[in-house]
Amino acid sequence: MDKGIENSNMFYQLLAESCEEKSLKWIQIQAEKIENSTEPNALFLAFSQASRYFKKETCSPSSTFEAKLQTQYANLEVSYWTLLQIARTYLVLKLPFEKEKWFKTINQLFETGDLYEQQALFAALPVLPFQKELIPRAIDGLRTNISLVFDAIALNNPFPATYFPEANWNQMVLKAIFMQRPLYRIQKLESRRNLALADIARDFAHERWAAGRDVMPELWRLIVPFVNESFQKDLEKVLATDDLLQVKAAVLAIQESDFLPAKTLIEKYPEIVKGIQKGEVTWESIGSEFQRTRV
Amino acid sequence: MYIDPHIHVVSRTTDDYEAMRKAGIVAIIEPAFWLGQPRTEVGSFKDYFSTLVGWERFRASQFGIVHYCTMGLNSKEANNIPLAEQVMELLPLYVGKEGVVAIGEIGYDDQTEAEDRFYRLQLELAKEVNLPVLIHTPHRDKRKGTIRSMDVAEEHGLDPKMVIVDHNNEETVKEVLYRGYYAGFTIYPHTKMGSERMVEIVKQYGPERIIVNSAADWGISDPLAVPKTADLMRKSGIPEEHVRLTTYQNALTAFGQSGQMDEQDWLNAPPLDQTKKMSGNSVLRGGQTPRVEGSSDFVEN
Repeated sequence: MDKGIENSNMFYQLLAESCEEKSLKWIQIQAEKIENSTEPNALFLAFSQASRYFKKETCSPSSTFEAKLQTQYANLEVSYWTLLQIARTYLVLKLPFEKEKWFKTINQLFETGDLYEQQALFAALPVLPFQKELIPRAIDGLRTNISLVFDAIALNNPFPATYFPEANWNQMVLKAIFMQRPLYRIQKLESRRNLALADIARDFAHERWAAGRDVMPELWRLIVPFVNESFQKDLEKVLATDDLLQVKAAVLAIQESDFLPAKTLIEKYPEIVKGIQKGEVTWESIGSEFQRTRV
Repeated sequence: MYIDPHIHVVSRTTDDYEAMRKAGIVAIIEPAFWLGQPRTEVGSFKDYFSTLVGWERFRASQFGIVHYCTMGLNSKEANNIPLAEQVMELLPLYVGKEGVVAIGEIGYDDQTEAEDRFYRLQLELAKEVNLPVLIHTPHRDKRKGTIRSMDVAEEHGLDPKMVIVDHNNEETVKEVLYRGYYAGFTIYPHTKMGSERMVEIVKQYGPERIIVNSAADWGISDPLAVPKTADLMRKSGIPEEHVRLTTYQNALTAFGQSGQMDEQDWLNAPPLDQTKKMSGNSVLRGGQTPRVEGSSDFVEN
């Protein structure tokens, strides 16, 4: 059996766990039509109409199931997907993998998609065939100003970290900062840190300060491996604010950095350091508090 | 709460959206139409249709307004036959999408042979996908065009209850209602109806199957025409229930037949998503807060 079709059955099992019989029956009929049709219309119709049968509730797969899925697709986080997204992914995987035809059809889906259809397609990038040829599509998708669509590519998605060249990766992270999206939900954010990105992030912070605005605290995570005297000055400035969340971020950045001269700066914050050591102050806790209270 | 079941918000500013929300408009329908200037490529239609189900819907949501649309090839552009044929091939991609509540605006403009052909094809499409139809009645030779639209719809076996005949006036309303269709009235200065004439029509015909809209677009028009007309109805002593039917419920009942429009979409909407609003996107930039202003208080004829 075709790998795509075999894997698509895992998505069906996910649906089977929480959807009504009527919806499951509908999607099975559609899947068969797509597999056996030479025209793309079967997929177009089913892909759109899936919204009539599947809800925009996040799916909650059992952890064993998610692990099983991840043996096929490394780091896939379907727990962030809605049932509707899973249904649409399942349908798309039923399309025979004949490259030229496949791209013609998929391109049309991308180009005519509504908000939620685009969300489904972009989040599904890691499970689609012809991964490398899809890189331009992912990069182009990030031009959107619709957060739902941006998030589908940038957050909880292994695709960018796996395939993006450095310049595109950096543009994505910077845009996520600009749009105040939660950086901790970008996969491999740490391992793909680079000096160019650290510089861009710092410039962005300076611009915000010049305009009298706050800086998203998660931004400082990007500079950790590159802290030097110059970055240290920025961190000192963050420590001088009276915003505890900002201060926590600066302390955490210094604590994680190897730049020894900066270490004395955090001696004044034993409570925060203790929190870091206990795992209570993390980039995730800082990022999620920021999202909850400031955005 | 009001519904404006006919407004071309792609042409409107964020000031309009703010004012609409402030005036109580909770949901809108944006019919696919022409754009003031004819398109010459099918790709222009594709991007326009995608905007209706994508960006514009998102833009509306940022102001707490639920956006629906209708899909169709308008009668003016049906006269470019090679292009119209390509647009017809495109339509099946869009008609099944979420929030598409009708096939429309379709019908006649100059009542040409080409218009007739594509009108009929789209009536068949509507039947096939079980969606209501929104009929645009012509500006010129209106009465005959309106009657012909209904005759042809019936010839194709459409149930009048599934058809909204729009842009009615004193000359067309009687027959449209008598034959069992929904009758849309567009409060649009100078070319269509004024609020005061609308009040008289509701007084005369009652509220059943009458739907008020603004059809606000790129021309001199008023996105607050529905709430302003409702206010004038109240001042003129029209019962509140009649106001509710003509400026809210009838539109919901008619377009709700699509299965794509549900009161819960706005009654149970998540609170305005500030994440999306302030930063996740960008109709508001860097710390702007929504501004609310009013304009004049009635729609002149």
